[in-house]
Amino acid sequence: MAKQNRRDFLKQTALATSTMILAPGAVWCPSPVRAGPARPGTRTGTAGSSAVEIAIARLQEGVTTDLQAIAVKLTEAAMESLGGMGRFVSKGDVVWLKPNIGWNSRPELAANTNPDVVATLVRLCFEAGAKQVKVGDNACNTARQTYRTSGIAAAAEKVGADLVFLDERRFKDVALQGEQLTTWPLYPEILDADLLINVPVVKHHGLSRVSLGMKNYMGIIGGERSRWHQALPACLCDITAYLQPRLTVLDAVRVLTAHGPRGGNPADVQQRNVVAAGTDVVALDAFGAELLGHEPAKIATVRAGFEAGLGQLDYRSLAPVELAVS
Amino acid sequence: MNPRRRARLIIWIRRVVQIACLLSFFALLVATRDPGHGQTPTGLLQVFFAIDPLVYLTTWLAAQSAAELSLLALITVGVTFLLGRVFCGWICPFGTLHNAVASLRGKLRRVLPRTEQFSRWQRAKYYLLYALVVMALLGVHWIGVFDPLSLLYRSTTTALLPGLQWAVEDGATTVYFVDPHLGSWHLTSITEPVYQFLRVHLFGPERPIFQGSGVILLILLVALALNLYRARFWCRYVCPLGALLGLCAVRPLLRLSGTAAECNDCGLCSMRCPAAAQPETRERWLPRECFGCWNCVAACNNSGLDFRFVWPWRRTPTGQVDLRKRAALTAVVGGVGGALLMRITPPAQGRTFNPLLIRPPGARAERQFLQRCIQCGMCMKTCPTGGLQPTWDEAGLEGVWTPMLVPRIGWCEYECNLCGQVCPTGAINPLPLATKKPLKIGLAVIDTTRCLPYAYDRECIVCEEHCPIPTKAIYFVQREVTGRDGGRRLLKQPEVDPELCNGCGICENKCPFADLPAIRVTSAGEDRHSDNQPILPGPPADAQWSDYVTPSAADSAAAPTASPYGD
Repeated sequence: MAKQNRRDFLKQTALATSTMILAPGAVWCPSPVRAGPARPGTRTGTAGSSAVEIAIARLQEGVTTDLQAIAVKLTEAAMESLGGMGRFVSKGDVVWLKPNIGWNSRPELAANTNPDVVATLVRLCFEAGAKQVKVGDNACNTARQTYRTSGIAAAAEKVGADLVFLDERRFKDVALQGEQLTTWPLYPEILDADLLINVPVVKHHGLSRVSLGMKNYMGIIGGERSRWHQALPACLCDITAYLQPRLTVLDAVRVLTAHGPRGGNPADVQQRNVVAAGTDVVALDAFGAELLGHEPAKIATVRAGFEAGLGQLDYRSLAPVELAVS
Repeated sequence: MNPRRRARLIIWIRRVVQIACLLSFFALLVATRDPGHGQTPTGLLQVFFAIDPLVYLTTWLAAQSAAELSLLALITVGVTFLLGRVFCGWICPFGTLHNAVASLRGKLRRVLPRTEQFSRWQRAKYYLLYALVVMALLGVHWIGVFDPLSLLYRSTTTALLPGLQWAVEDGATTVYFVDPHLGSWHLTSITEPVYQFLRVHLFGPERPIFQGSGVILLILLVALALNLYRARFWCRYVCPLGALLGLCAVRPLLRLSGTAAECNDCGLCSMRCPAAAQPETRERWLPRECFGCWNCVAACNNSGLDFRFVWPWRRTPTGQVDLRKRAALTAVVGGVGGALLMRITPPAQGRTFNPLLIRPPGARAERQFLQRCIQCGMCMKTCPTGGLQPTWDEAGLEGVWTPMLVPRIGWCEYECNLCGQVCPTGAINPLPLATKKPLKIGLAVIDTTRCLPYAYDRECIVCEEHCPIPTKAIYFVQREVTGRDGGRRLLKQPEVDPELCNGCGICENKCPFADLPAIRVTSAGEDRHSDNQPILPGPPADAQWSDYVTPSAADSAAAPTASPYGD
């Protein structure tokens, strides 16, 4: 054994200790870090003004009762009339799919995004040439159980997606410069993706009455996010403005109509057989609010999104393509 | 084969067995977590506790229930009758760790090996065992504090594994953010896959952290460090399981004896004996102390020692550990005293209830729970939120290191019943999910002096959002509040339905107040205690008995328009 005297030992200890103390300080500097140019949504658009902005796929009555087939068909149809996944995904892209995987709850309870909608989108991304598709959410319940119970873990991995369990240490303060929030911790790995696809499920929410696309972005933020409830419309506008959404896919195959966002009572779930996809998250939220029986202008978060210039309150003004899927 | 060569072979086999047992122990510990399909491989995970006769003897005595007896533990007892304390020398993972540290002693400190003389203090472990057994007879189950398997499991779960996780994950995250690279080669191309692999397969995405783990770790480290003073100090002087097995090792089949070869009193056998079982004395060798490690036989240059087969009914001259009656009596009195000491407290007599002592779902009533819990920490290891924490003084000295839910650290996950599935002694009943979900382990109470919609006129109801009860145990009532500027608005103020709340604590965990949450769970209303019930079961049948009347439309219209406090 090599001889080690006390002085060497103390030196090494001091070095190791100072590295441990100083390194995190150097790394997690409190000053806000502006995300690099790879921010999702900042790439110049590939779509012309004539492109379809919203596509709403509904199942024709009595065609099939196979829930999986319904979800797959509706998703495919909505994406196709939007111009196909190739409109958003380029060859070699890394895509982050952000479903709602918030709750340790089974698919039929509609607290999370439909796993077949997620899996179909993963497949379409790969078909459009994506190099890697990551699926992840900052779950409210324990991540491993939530990913599994939601059915999304199995469905997404089957088609080759990488499930990512967010690590609370890896959130980084990002300058949002919003109306309410100046900085907030976001997840670098999500911001580094070439495309962020927002895949919310349509459901009830006690505070904001609906939980839709903008609300779904709460899953990529870190920190004490429960504080957002104190000014939810403004906070959702700030994050949406920062992310500049390019593609949102609204899952309304099953919707949760009460006791949201967690639900748990089968009686609160309605099978609506709708998937809507589009580039305008506010318009899609307006559509989703209508599905839940609300007048969109009376939903504070949706109205705030419109007033902040993030999208259309009157989604019909975007001439949505209505598809009857059989 | 000459005895010495045979002994060397046996020692190698022993080392393989020891390492295999140690690794299995840690592998089973790591596997004690959410299994991916809801049902843990019950029986296999707990196997080290199932073969521990001490755990089952004292649980049986304390709980006075034969159902706790395990056939596997009887096998350990049988093997010890036949072969002596081979459990200590070959199987026990804690013993193997002591072995490893003890073997470092010579290398680290470069001390000359010394002959290991039997010390009278080695009897201490027998007296400790007597005291613990007497306590168990009086219903105070304190064995988990000293049981080697409990101790090692508890230390690994609460301190070693979380410590390793912090080191690995913080290290990898530091590299991730600094991103050191040479040209196009990034260090993260090594660290990230390792980090991902360990996070998924060894640790899990949540980061457990346990209160009081420093003390638990310190005890482990002291126990291990004592090997530098005497090899296998713990096993020789302290371990009550070793003592119990020692009591069984009366006349083992294999007994040490001298061969025809001459003994030149070199003392090598004694130097190599980790048990101080005085092999050098031949006829006064101590079967109760011997671990059956075969070191002495291998150490003798003259092949002067060997284990010989002797039928159990044949007496041969051996040394005796003199367990004197007076000392034994003292130990018994000590046990009675210890039991009294722990029981003469208001909570132990059911006179007071600690509001913070929220037990896992399925935990028996406190007395019956403590009579079974061996403080092993399996429930804490498997709890997916990390909310099950070792107590320190919350359950009194008697209940030290038993599990309690600390909602600020982690809540009781609604769709989970893992703690009851893994509990090796039935202290936590295994409950089907359908039974566990509505089971009350406490009750949430809203602190309206802090709660944002009450105290600060802000929207919040994060607690309502997270409440997992399908019809929401936390609901909200829209109430009109008057702001600082005199303006009136409707705010959603949360309320708790005591009929529905199961005390899971996710509300407390998610409350924006991190220091003292504005909604807190206390043990009140826990189903396991009929004395700790503030709420009359069922909604009040006659709401009219008090002045509780539904406000009429006229009343609402006449709501005050100005602040009652003036401007």
